[in-house]
Amino acid sequence: MVTVGVLALQGGFAEHLGLLKRAAHYLSIGREQRFVFDITEVRTPEQLAACDALVLPGGESTTLSLVAVQSGLLEPLREFVKISKKPVWGTCAGLILLCEEASATKRGGQELIGGLDVKVHRNHFGRQLQSFVQDVDLPFLTQGEKQKGAPFPAVFIRAPVVDQMLHQAGSPERTIEILAKYPSNGEGDDIVALRQGNVFGTSFHPELTDDVRIHVWWLDQVIKALPEN
Amino acid sequence: MPSSSAATTTTNNGTKASFTVKAGLAQMLKGGVIMDVTDAAQARIAEDAGACAVMALERVPADIRAEGGVSRMSDPAKIKEIQDAVTIPVMAKARIGHFVECQILEALGVDYIDESEVLTPADDEFHVEKSEFNVPFVCGCRNLAEALRRITEGAAMIRTKGEAGTGDVVEAVRHIRTVKREIAAAQAALHEGGDLALRQLAREYGCDATLLKQTAELGRLPVVNFAAGGVATPADAALMMQLGCDGVFVGSGIFKSGDAAKRAQAIVRATTHFRDAKVVAECSEGLGEAMVGINVKTLPTEQKLAGRGW
Repeated sequence: MVTVGVLALQGGFAEHLGLLKRAAHYLSIGREQRFVFDITEVRTPEQLAACDALVLPGGESTTLSLVAVQSGLLEPLREFVKISKKPVWGTCAGLILLCEEASATKRGGQELIGGLDVKVHRNHFGRQLQSFVQDVDLPFLTQGEKQKGAPFPAVFIRAPVVDQMLHQAGSPERTIEILAKYPSNGEGDDIVALRQGNVFGTSFHPELTDDVRIHVWWLDQVIKALPEN
Repeated sequence: MPSSSAATTTTNNGTKASFTVKAGLAQMLKGGVIMDVTDAAQARIAEDAGACAVMALERVPADIRAEGGVSRMSDPAKIKEIQDAVTIPVMAKARIGHFVECQILEALGVDYIDESEVLTPADDEFHVEKSEFNVPFVCGCRNLAEALRRITEGAAMIRTKGEAGTGDVVEAVRHIRTVKREIAAAQAALHEGGDLALRQLAREYGCDATLLKQTAELGRLPVVNFAAGGVATPADAALMMQLGCDGVFVGSGIFKSGDAAKRAQAIVRATTHFRDAKVVAECSEGLGEAMVGINVKTLPTEQKLAGRGW
């Protein structure tokens, strides 16, 4: 039994639960029944302790971090990500929480969980009127396969991007892998999907589409990261 | 890898904002509390307390009630001040049918427009044609048909009307219960009589049959549905969440109470942990004076705001 939690403090957690269940079903077909997934909501430290992996959904990052502090979850979350090094995936606001530093934060700053040695820029594209859907190529989804996959319909809603590497850590398992970029006007590309060790982040919302490919890919990574493997 | 089926999303190259993007922001607000604020100082208190968005308006509903007169969209300078003060989404209210107020709010770059019965209606026949705007809209409803009519016009988020500015949650409860009862009736009609029965029900309700069918199949409204109108305590917020709302608007309840910051935080926490009575008990403790409130039963019909719009 693999327990995958979705942080359910605020935001689009129901959408992730739905797609994770579909992805788990997909993975259970054509494999021996070794991996039975339990997909569950996480609101308390006890619920978090039961998880092998965790998704941090989109929502408002300021709300998520305040409610995490109120619920006694901030330190357990840091431990989950940085000490136990269990697989985590953050989308949009979830990505913000998983970065070591953030710019354009609220006055007085906001608490982050950290895990990715990068700086993230909140509301990078602007307000809701600058939100958009854009096809992006995600080569990591089809790594090792001959055919190039169809582009992914990436939904960006008041989205952040990673615009600065803080330092490139020495050990190979801490290398930052840039998995997708969005062409920006001016200096360099904006990073919209990345991974560093056990931490995966996307600045867009795969949970707002019917496209289950990223959820399938991530659950597969979770299986590969299990201690018995 | 499964094939991609992006039925709900289409690439949007700088043209009209797709419905995915409009409804998507509302999906990101779920489980959160949206607070009415009239200036930058209140907006910062709301953000610091964990509000997932703020609603900019000229006067909170309790004051609109007390002072009377025509109530309109906020002064754009106030809205800009609030936008500069916080990093969370800023919503603003426009009068029912007043599409020019909506155009102004869109030009200001607000994140959501509430076409609201709390302000004095500008048109007693038509609501705003909301699909023409790039900025998304939230609208109030008292029943399923009203919600579906607003969605047909382009609303990407729904809330109960409740009875704003009273601190009495009874009308919000009535409205969510009515919506749920009517969804159950639509499901029963579809199950027993198929499309024909559903079309008949849609005629009876006065709403679009395709949307009604979609709602019956989903077993819920096809967009995010918040509670609004009379929520004043953490227990009120948890009540509306347990009744099936996706999140909560709090209007006068916060800044008309004794300790606004503390009450705001408590309502945010109760909305997250709405099923955990111990947590709701804990955050209900020692909040000081709640807003005084008006019992809705004592309100004459002409003073009720929920009757505005159709």
